[in-house]
Amino acid sequence: MTTVPPPAPGGSPTPAPATIRAQDLVKMFGPIRAVDGISFELAPGRIYGLLGPNGSGKTTLIRLLTGMGRATAGRAEVLGTAMPSRAVLARVGYMTQSDGIYPALTAGENVRFFGELYGVTDATAPEDALAVVDLADRRDAVVATLSGGQRRRLSLACALVHRPPVLFLDEPTVGVDPLLRVQFWSHFRRLADGGVTIVVSSHVMDEADRCDELLFMRSGRVIARGSGRDLRARAGTDDLEQAFLRFSGNVAATR
Amino acid sequence: MSARRVRALWRRVVAEIRRDRPSLALLFVAPILVTGLVTFILREGQTPALNALIVNQAGLPGSAIAGEIASSLRTLGDQATQATDEAAARAAVRDGSATLAIILPADLAASVTRGGAITITVLTSGLDPAGESGQLAVLGKALAAAAGQFSRSQPPVIRHTTVYGVPSSDPIAAFAPAIVGFFVYFFVYILTGVSFLRERTGGTLERLLATPVARGEIVAGYTLGFGLFATLQVALLMTWALGSLRIPALGPLPAFSIGLGIPVAGSPPIAFLVVLLLAVGAVSLGIFLSTFARTELQVLQFIPVVLAPQFLLSGVLFPINSLPAILKPLVAIMPLNYAVDGLRQVFIAGADLSNGALQEDLLVLLGVAAFFAVIASLTIRREIV
Ligand SMILES: Nc1ncnc2c1ncn2[C@@H]1O[C@H](COP(=O)(O)OP(=O)(O)O)[C@@H](O)[C@H]1O
Ligand SMILES: [Mg+2]
Repeated sequence: MTTVPPPAPGGSPTPAPATIRAQDLVKMFGPIRAVDGISFELAPGRIYGLLGPNGSGKTTLIRLLTGMGRATAGRAEVLGTAMPSRAVLARVGYMTQSDGIYPALTAGENVRFFGELYGVTDATAPEDALAVVDLADRRDAVVATLSGGQRRRLSLACALVHRPPVLFLDEPTVGVDPLLRVQFWSHFRRLADGGVTIVVSSHVMDEADRCDELLFMRSGRVIARGSGRDLRARAGTDDLEQAFLRFSGNVAATR
Repeated sequence: MSARRVRALWRRVVAEIRRDRPSLALLFVAPILVTGLVTFILREGQTPALNALIVNQAGLPGSAIAGEIASSLRTLGDQATQATDEAAARAAVRDGSATLAIILPADLAASVTRGGAITITVLTSGLDPAGESGQLAVLGKALAAAAGQFSRSQPPVIRHTTVYGVPSSDPIAAFAPAIVGFFVYFFVYILTGVSFLRERTGGTLERLLATPVARGEIVAGYTLGFGLFATLQVALLMTWALGSLRIPALGPLPAFSIGLGIPVAGSPPIAFLVVLLLAVGAVSLGIFLSTFARTELQVLQFIPVVLAPQFLLSGVLFPINSLPAILKPLVAIMPLNYAVDGLRQVFIAGADLSNGALQEDLLVLLGVAAFFAVIASLTIRREIV
């Protein structure tokens, strides 16, 4: 028998169970605390932005959440299962910071290859993934002949091919032209509306307002969390860069 | 030409190599290891001890000579026993319980009284031509020492025959198994090592591991992929080595033949199986060693450390029975040796799958391939850093 949670008081909708959960995550590289005690819960159907300068621990955090790195301490959970878990990986899309595609294969071959590894049986899925990133007409081009931005797009297609309910995107828009970025974001939004949880990392602030919620990262910690508007209000500034600096100033002061 | 720019370049080269610790270590360690090993083998190599059977077909005068030869062999530290007849001796050499058989012919007494040179037939297995010529040299010494006792005039003439094949009819026959085995091992290792290293450094391995793929599946996929090319390589190499296609004269073109025409006593498909098992092991070895390499250069640098000793100890250059004793355990764990032995069984002795020695070689190669497949898959970890 399943227990249905009681309706929340005041008629507000029941908060959905978290799809991604971090509990006191720590990752050390020798003396470096790349991730320094991070805990959070992320809900389905939302886009989360991990924002922070280079070296603040965004990639390491994503690797812990996807089970690609083993935490020194703490626990990472995706879709209710502790990571690393091979079964969960079938339902997770991970676009790595480096492209991670095969230069000697064509764009189509790369997407089909990853589709097969993810167990995709739908023959149209690779085509759809290529269409999303606007590479359908470059299907038969060998990756080595693609531009940097095109490779980035192909890398994204490889993370989308199995239509995962959880998506980690590590700096996905680096090297992608502004017009296509707009397209990317509207696709991310469509996916989120369909219930997909998306975690996007970035070291620039200009795309922050496309996220539902932001997690400011610095020195392996989440120093602030909230919507762009919320964070601006709390920092008392209209400029997100300024807001980030205020929050990191607080951290520096409290240390 | 600007001295400043040249200096900037050479400094950069030195700085880069200085920071590439493994390359630096191998740069100095590899030559010392290889030359040290060769020197050790040559200096400390043992004269192989013989286990000789003596067949006397010359009656009473022969038995005196047989006794002389036996005691002369024992003085040199070898074993010598009498065998009843040639068939028994042949069987003992074939199953390896005797290294060689010395046959004193029926006309021995006559030769001795005539004062001419006596001819002694020596029977070896023929499987290890290099090793056997070393044994014949040892025997030659013993015979020369014994000869003073029974023949004043000339040292005895040795007529060498073998159980398998014809001795030194074609010098390449002795080398062919080792060359075929080594080339396949070498190229499959390089091909796999370099491509798996690319997988590790190019970011695709991390991407692969972010899918539900299992490590064993990756090793199996690589083995099949490179196994295909190893199969083609072996097929081509075998056809070239064993084949001898006569092309008849055509107009002004003279007749010629394609292929080395190396004689093979056994079945080429079985030889093929031996080499294929070796190649499968090499795929996993390449994956395994790529863990310790950061650059493609380093994959190549493992060759003197991992492949050269196998070649030196495979019995191609130095007969295994004359290697220093402390290297013998090493010989026993080198997969290449089993492939070379298996190929010799097929090429020279014409062994088929019911042959015990060949079965043992195949089993060891299978075991080695399985062992390295497990080791290789253990090195493919989700945690790359
Ligand atoms: N494999 C590694 N070995 C040692 N240090 C590492 C490794 N990966 C990351 N780091 C360190 O961890 C910190 C966080 O890095 P990273 O997560 O890549 O940051 P970001 O993605 O935010 O730029 C940095 O100080 C980086 O140098
Ligand atoms: Mg990063």
